[in-house]
Amino acid sequence: MTNPIVTEDLEKVYPGGTRAVAGVSIEVHPGEIFGFLGPNGAGKSTTVGMLTTLLKPSGGRAFVDGLDLRTETDRIRRRIGLVFQESTADDQLTGRENLELAAAIYDVPPAEARTRMARLLEEMSLTQVQDRLVKTYSGGMRRRLELAAGVIHTPRVLFLDEPTLGLDPQGRAGIGQVVRKMRDDFGVTVFLTTHYLDEADLLCDRIAIIDHGQIKVLGTPAELKDKIGGDVLTVTPQQAGVDLEPILRAVPGVLSVQRHESAYRIKTPQGESITPTIVEACFAAHAPLASVSLKRPSLDEVFLEFTGRAYREEEGPSATDMALRMNQFRGRKR
Amino acid sequence: MTLRALRALTVRELKRWVRTPTAIIASVMTPFFYLLLFGQAFNIGKFLPSGNTPAVLAAFQGAPDYYSYFSAGMVIFVVLFSSLFIGANVIFDKRLGYVKKLTVAPVPRSVILGASVAAGVFRCLLFGGLVFGIALLFHQIPGLSGLTVTAPVTAISVVEIFLAMTFLAAAFTSLFITLGYVIEQIEAYFALVNLVNLPLLFSSTALAPATIMPSWLRYIANGNPITLSINVLRENLFPYAGYYTYAPEIYLGILALFAVVVVALCVRVTVGALSPR
Repeated sequence: MTNPIVTEDLEKVYPGGTRAVAGVSIEVHPGEIFGFLGPNGAGKSTTVGMLTTLLKPSGGRAFVDGLDLRTETDRIRRRIGLVFQESTADDQLTGRENLELAAAIYDVPPAEARTRMARLLEEMSLTQVQDRLVKTYSGGMRRRLELAAGVIHTPRVLFLDEPTLGLDPQGRAGIGQVVRKMRDDFGVTVFLTTHYLDEADLLCDRIAIIDHGQIKVLGTPAELKDKIGGDVLTVTPQQAGVDLEPILRAVPGVLSVQRHESAYRIKTPQGESITPTIVEACFAAHAPLASVSLKRPSLDEVFLEFTGRAYREEEGPSATDMALRMNQFRGRKR
Repeated sequence: MTLRALRALTVRELKRWVRTPTAIIASVMTPFFYLLLFGQAFNIGKFLPSGNTPAVLAAFQGAPDYYSYFSAGMVIFVVLFSSLFIGANVIFDKRLGYVKKLTVAPVPRSVILGASVAAGVFRCLLFGGLVFGIALLFHQIPGLSGLTVTAPVTAISVVEIFLAMTFLAAAFTSLFITLGYVIEQIEAYFALVNLVNLPLLFSSTALAPATIMPSWLRYIANGNPITLSINVLRENLFPYAGYYTYAPEIYLGILALFAVVVVALCVRVTVGALSPR
């Protein structure tokens, strides 16, 4: 089975010289949820733009569902679905009319479109509101409608550009569930971009971290965290004034110990198995512990490790900001 | 496939329009006020010696009075006027991501333009027809002038008038929709529209006969597509031997050619604007 997305040194230089994507090579496997993670302006949307035929690559090659991006744009368009970061549902139409329009422009046979629409509306919990104008929908409902429209023609690859941007936590969780369900039910490969670390962690099978147009690291969330070199165990003794450092260092498997006021941060490759040994060692040294906490390394740390800076939003207007502004504008109109 | 997409996209445009009643009411009121206030107030026929029918006919290209002459011009002007704002929808569609959504869909680019043009032409014809109807109905209201048609209404004249409106609407809706695809700023769009709108009106014979214009303006007026369309209307409504250089069919032919050239150029520009960059 061909990989649904393959890129080789994909590159995009905008007129004016900005090198938004600087040689991206990835392979996305069939049926996986692949996440593109990076701050605003990292090159995520530009990559999606190229893979979805919106933008012309300046260099390199790319194949979507085995089709060459340079020569087979029209065939690619039939095989991909796309949900943009800005809301593209037509708010003067009802939810159902939006889906009917999508079915017509992707030429889904009418009978098939009806069955699929009924099923998708049900899965997105929109059956009750299908005949309401989209302008009365909440942000989460709009997003689910756009997702339904994005898969009405059973695409092979579904691109989601910041699918949860501007949604509240509940809405974000709902989208996550729906995306996974669509992958499980229809076997569609999902390529999503996000700047939410926790979202990439929870939702994606594999993640590529992109910064300044280049892939910094690629792997499953667990693999990426393993690269950080293990877990962080934080312990606090019951009595202050006892120096635990020599005791902790003596435990086999401890990589390093750092003291932060009364607490000790221990780096270790296997946090779970070492915890009882540490508790016992401290007890035996007459320095019983008041608390123990184990933290698996988060993607925040992964990001810090591979890009050399803490994960935060970059300054300057971006497409994401534009989308947010449009949402506010729309909100005010209502 | 193409036809289905064309129909679906056209219906979408019209649904959006129908669901904005404020805009519709305002667009109906505008030509209504033109007819009610401008036409009635600007009645330059009053300056002619009353009862001198040949002088009136000569002044107004065969129309029995100024109001009838003006109404025919107004029908065509409203067709132009309705086409002006259609491009603004495109600018909003671009901002809302709708155009992007269509761009990644397997729809021929010409269909994307075609659907907007079809919906636009429909609106133009509707308003043109409405102006025609109102002008005729004004006869029934005491104290108002109305449109008097002096020729027998035939199937051919109806078809010719319909085609004249359609060709003009097709050319101008394509033009303004294409402007909408090319221009990013809504302010720039409206500035351009206003720049085109009034000169086109005043350099046509919609409001005043070419005979009272200075000769340089008369040349422009006679070649103005607005005048060409109005000629088709007036020749069919108030036949007047000797005034018109050509038969209405010739004017229609020139208009058709104009529409084909403009639409073809617009398709080219739009396809370029919608292609991956």
